[in-house]
Amino acid sequence: MTAPISYRLTFGTYEDALQMVGVATEPRTAGTVVSAARIQMFAATVRDGNSSYWDAEFATSTWGGLLAPPGLLMGWLTPPPWDPTGQPPVSAIALRVPLPGTTFINAANEAEFPLPIVEGDRLTVVEKLVSVSPEKRTRLGVGHFVETLDTFSRQDGAVVATNRNTLFRFTPGAQT
Amino acid sequence: MIQRLDWDRIVVPVDLPEVRDEISYQRVVMNSGSTWDYFPGHFDPTYAESQGHPTIFVNTMHLAGFADRIATDWAGPESRVVRRTMRLAGSIYAGDTMVGRGRVVAKRCDTTVDPPRYLLDMQIEVANQRGELCCPVELTLQLPG
Repeated sequence: MTAPISYRLTFGTYEDALQMVGVATEPRTAGTVVSAARIQMFAATVRDGNSSYWDAEFATSTWGGLLAPPGLLMGWLTPPPWDPTGQPPVSAIALRVPLPGTTFINAANEAEFPLPIVEGDRLTVVEKLVSVSPEKRTRLGVGHFVETLDTFSRQDGAVVATNRNTLFRFTPGAQT
Repeated sequence: MIQRLDWDRIVVPVDLPEVRDEISYQRVVMNSGSTWDYFPGHFDPTYAESQGHPTIFVNTMHLAGFADRIATDWAGPESRVVRRTMRLAGSIYAGDTMVGRGRVVAKRCDTTVDPPRYLLDMQIEVANQRGELCCPVELTLQLPG
């Protein structure tokens, strides 16, 4: 048996998906601030000894606080996999695009960081659906490429990062 | 003592030292734990196999973090990643070794802002232990002025 997918996918046709292109979500604010614990757990995961993540004195004088690893950007607005309301976590807009594919994999990512993100920042994201490709076949299966643009701002309203992502929403081994 | 790279003295291209990192099952599970990305392909081998993968694999954030580490380990902690593009051409699975090779391909002084930004453009290739390119990365670092 496989584990239940904790990500809720929305199903529909390519025509349904095209209807959603251009839609932007309401701003969504992270439940918790950027924290040293998460900064250092991510740095441990990728074994990055950068003093900006580990040395509070150096990081404070250089960045104004421990620096959020740029690689962890999408993680700050990823909700915990369970919450006390019992509601499933909010899916990213890319997963809420109505399409036939039963699973997904990431295909490309482009991130920009106009300002450093530091410990204590509380981030808000607005996600926008940029495009959905016609049906494509890859070695994994048949599906559609879904391009989204996330804009991250901090508590004073300044945009600290943008994240343009393309994922492949597909059905494994499916034939056209 | 913090190592400081002198932007003025860099002559491009510069090849960075190769970085190798063995990705155990523990590391892939740490990946979900630290990024809160619980897509089952990152922790459930049975699910991963049902989707045509040999086993669980690291997510985009892990690959991004590895590329960023290659860049800032070389340039020092006063440098900062300001832009990164990556293409996910193949996956890094539990049991694989990530092999990163970076090269500085350009240096630019952005005078459209005040103070000017001192930038380095880099290309980083993340391959597996079989030499298969999994993730080509283009990355721009900002150095202290």
